[in-house]
Amino acid sequence: MKDIIRLGSGSGFWGDALDPAAESLRKGRLDYLCMDYLAELTMALLQRAKLKDPQAGYIPDLAEHMRVLMPLARASGTRIVCNGGGVNPRAAGERLRKLAVELGLTGLRIAVVEGDDMIDRIDGLLAAGEPLANMETESDAFSALRGAVVAANVYTDGSGIRDALADGADVVVTGRVSDNALYVGPIMHEFGWVHDEDHADRIGAAITAGHIVECASACTGGMSSRFDEMPRMGMVGFPIVEFSRDGSFVVTKPEDTGGMVDAFTVKEHLVYEIADPANYVMPDGIADFTSLRLEEIGPDRVRVSGVRGRGLPEKLKLVIGYQDGWIGEGLVLFPWPRAYERAVKARQTLTERFERLGLVADDLLFSFVGLDTLHGPAAKDTEIPDLNEIGLRVAAKTRSRSEADKIRRACTQLWIMGPGGSAFGTPTKPRPVVAVWPTLIDRAAVTQTVTVMEA
Amino acid sequence: MSRTLSEIAYVRSGDKGDTVTIGVIARTHADYSAVKRSVTPDRVRALFGDWVRGPVHVYEMDNIDSVVVYMEAALGGGATRTLRLDQTGKALGNAILRLSVEPGNE
Repeated sequence: MKDIIRLGSGSGFWGDALDPAAESLRKGRLDYLCMDYLAELTMALLQRAKLKDPQAGYIPDLAEHMRVLMPLARASGTRIVCNGGGVNPRAAGERLRKLAVELGLTGLRIAVVEGDDMIDRIDGLLAAGEPLANMETESDAFSALRGAVVAANVYTDGSGIRDALADGADVVVTGRVSDNALYVGPIMHEFGWVHDEDHADRIGAAITAGHIVECASACTGGMSSRFDEMPRMGMVGFPIVEFSRDGSFVVTKPEDTGGMVDAFTVKEHLVYEIADPANYVMPDGIADFTSLRLEEIGPDRVRVSGVRGRGLPEKLKLVIGYQDGWIGEGLVLFPWPRAYERAVKARQTLTERFERLGLVADDLLFSFVGLDTLHGPAAKDTEIPDLNEIGLRVAAKTRSRSEADKIRRACTQLWIMGPGGSAFGTPTKPRPVVAVWPTLIDRAAVTQTVTVMEA
Repeated sequence: MSRTLSEIAYVRSGDKGDTVTIGVIARTHADYSAVKRSVTPDRVRALFGDWVRGPVHVYEMDNIDSVVVYMEAALGGGATRTLRLDQTGKALGNAILRLSVEPGNE
């Protein structure tokens, strides 16, 4: 029985780099490699892919990643836990089983964890009295968008992963478990923990560890306010958690890699995308980030201790994705001299064009790239010098694709009817909007299942 | 000449639905009280104008010299439907560093 287990973060989002995950497997002496691929929008994109092809719906890069990682993991005795199953973990598991056979990884056990996909259960939930009210806006007008729903996935806890590991899985593939469940599940399995009051603080600590490292390089120098001080970020190391049975843990990274772990890189991610830090509510429990203590105990080593936790929340978060119209956008650049004046006149011209074309839009946004695109009203107008160049961006939200396409057409028409010297990239095509409706459901409505496949 | 928050704090921001969260971290323990004085719901709301349409909450984390700003209805409808280029609010958080440091007894 180990008293400390080593969990490496292998991916922070769909699109993250593969080489640091492979490096952690080679150098990190990992017990687990935990990989997050999913975001709110991802589930809707994958659900659309599955509608076109019933064998799709998992992360398209998953097999190519595992072609590299599974042999390394077998060599280092590391188990892989990932949520790359998306909306079709079973198809992902079957694909990885075939891949393992192809790679000669005989006997490799791949476990599929399901139970988060509620798309076929929405009407049943409504019939059972779940109001599915929007937890942000408190709107209960769900019925108006029922017909537009394209995805519905509930953030599930780590118990399915824990059970899969108890079944001897070498690779666990899940759907929409919470990001930190990828870490909580293995920790609970290794230490034989259950979701009870006695373990609430330690599970709170596991949730905290998961939160700190789940975005991979985001706690080893990536996104840092001190990015200019971070060494060799192109060779950044992904984080490793050394988690102790007593609930304390150390955040570190493989030796001889780029980036840095210090109290600030950990603080920067502790405060990331959270609400009340004393009540970080996750499917596995509630962690109190205001109770913890950070200590720099060596180069690239930060110890975290004292986390307090409370037990399981009664509700789980269900994110429903639904089709919600279109966005059309365009970008035009203007050169010195008088770049800003040209952009202002072009904005006026576009406004007139939209009127002439009869544009019907729910919302329209103009911004000057180089002045106020990112900070909006917070970028108070100061005196604008004669800039080298400036961009004018326009975006509109419409009900139909043809309305959104009027934005592209009007911007293209500026090629000749606009200010001299205007420069364009490739015109942007309208894109469909999948909006999200976050709601809460009773956790008793959710059951996870585990299926093991062997190569 | 008054100082701005950019001289005493680091920042990291992101989204949850239509909410934008901004973590503001004091560069030194000595700066933390000035960060707390300077980052208030009213000052934050005034800074962002009509880009923030819902309530603003500020949570203090005395253990790590940081505050968390939680701004509702602040992303133009959420990452997937906002018209802004900064769809997940990653850049927006840096705007909070424009706030002037509120004077006080250190």
